[in-house]
Amino acid sequence: MNKHSADATTAEEALAIQETLDSNMATEVAMKNTLLTPRFYTTDFDELDAVDVSHIKSEWDPLIERMLSDPNKGHFKKNDDWDQVDWDNMEPQLKKEFIDFLISSCTAEFSGCVLYKEMKRRGSNKEITQLFQLMARDEARHAGFINDALREAGVAVNLGFLTQKKKYTYFRPKFIYYATYLSEKIGYARYITIFRHLQENPQHRFHPIFKWFEEWCNDEFSHGEAFALLMKADPKLTRGVNVWWIKFFLTAVYATMYIRDHQRPAFHAALGVDPDWYAHEVFTKTSKLSKQIFPITLDIDHPRWKKGLLSIQKANQDLADAKAKGSKLAQLTSSIRAGFAFVMLFTVPSKKHSVPSVTRLEPAY
Amino acid sequence: MGIFTREREKVPCTVEISHKFESLHAHVRFNNGAVVHPGDEVLVEGPEIMAPFGEVVTEDRSAIILRASFIERLWTRATGDLEVMELCEFSFSEEATL
Repeated sequence: MNKHSADATTAEEALAIQETLDSNMATEVAMKNTLLTPRFYTTDFDELDAVDVSHIKSEWDPLIERMLSDPNKGHFKKNDDWDQVDWDNMEPQLKKEFIDFLISSCTAEFSGCVLYKEMKRRGSNKEITQLFQLMARDEARHAGFINDALREAGVAVNLGFLTQKKKYTYFRPKFIYYATYLSEKIGYARYITIFRHLQENPQHRFHPIFKWFEEWCNDEFSHGEAFALLMKADPKLTRGVNVWWIKFFLTAVYATMYIRDHQRPAFHAALGVDPDWYAHEVFTKTSKLSKQIFPITLDIDHPRWKKGLLSIQKANQDLADAKAKGSKLAQLTSSIRAGFAFVMLFTVPSKKHSVPSVTRLEPAY
Repeated sequence: MGIFTREREKVPCTVEISHKFESLHAHVRFNNGAVVHPGDEVLVEGPEIMAPFGEVVTEDRSAIILRASFIERLWTRATGDLEVMELCEFSFSEEATL
């Protein structure tokens, strides 16, 4: 067993041990070091503690019970299905985009873990802290799995960010619910759409990690279920002025995904996926799922929707170009155009519907 | 808490970094029960803590909490929500063009 820096009595000794360790791992020396930069959050912990799930116990308990039974324990391990990846001969642009995809996924899982853990630690409501503990477990597991894929690609994730100054930002609990609910459900829709597509077109599966997406996204699905129930626990969250917030989050999440995916053309080409088709497919699934708790869905077939997406993506691209060139004026004009495009998307009339009395769903795609 | 001024606080803390296949996580726990508020900044003192792959490292350190001023706290509470979109898996990337 190697000695590690925690055994050291002085900082210098710790550094020396670390250096020896690092040079012992021949592969690691050549690794590109990527510092993970998760964000840190605070929220209104008293409000979170006040959540009462007693009147939705019939739906809450089975969900927690299943998460406790941990059906995916042992799933996130490499087995014979993990094919060798020829990183050296991967087309450079694809490699770049794919590694960016892995790093951003890893950071997101990691940040989710930090957020959930903080909520677990600072809360005192037993049901709520238990839920966040379970979700933090899953996120850390996913992050570990992606990290392993990154190591194979020669990217070492650096967890040294704790010794850098970090600022805590603040989210209201309801915004955490809306954003994480959507993020978990859209995450499910994204992963399952790729998984099903690659089942039918296995020649496009250029990395084995996609084989793990099915069980993986079931974790995302359950997390989404938990947030749906948290919102159900307080009906005010999905009524009145909050419906506008829901619309805002739906629009922002869909638009962000559209913009981001169009920044990875080689990645989508390698998967044999047209990003426009993919976006429509994912939005359709997410909208259908979110009807379980949200009283509105976005009209993604409205002519102004597609137009708005194209404008916001173009404006965003121009903004990036302007930043690269250092042109302040072009930055300003493209920011204004992006703002207009967002308003155009936000003002597309939404579809109203009634919310079912039973919230819980099972993954069916 | 000052209206415009920031205060420094030194607190003992325990840092746990797990760099294992089963779990990748990193947490700081303040051992005196100190809590952070919106806008506060936290810096763990000492050299970077690196957990080699496959290991969990736990260290007792001290941390500096730079308390946000009253104004900063209000500002963070008012504007923090705008950054909420970064919780989405597809929004973590510095580069707009790859």
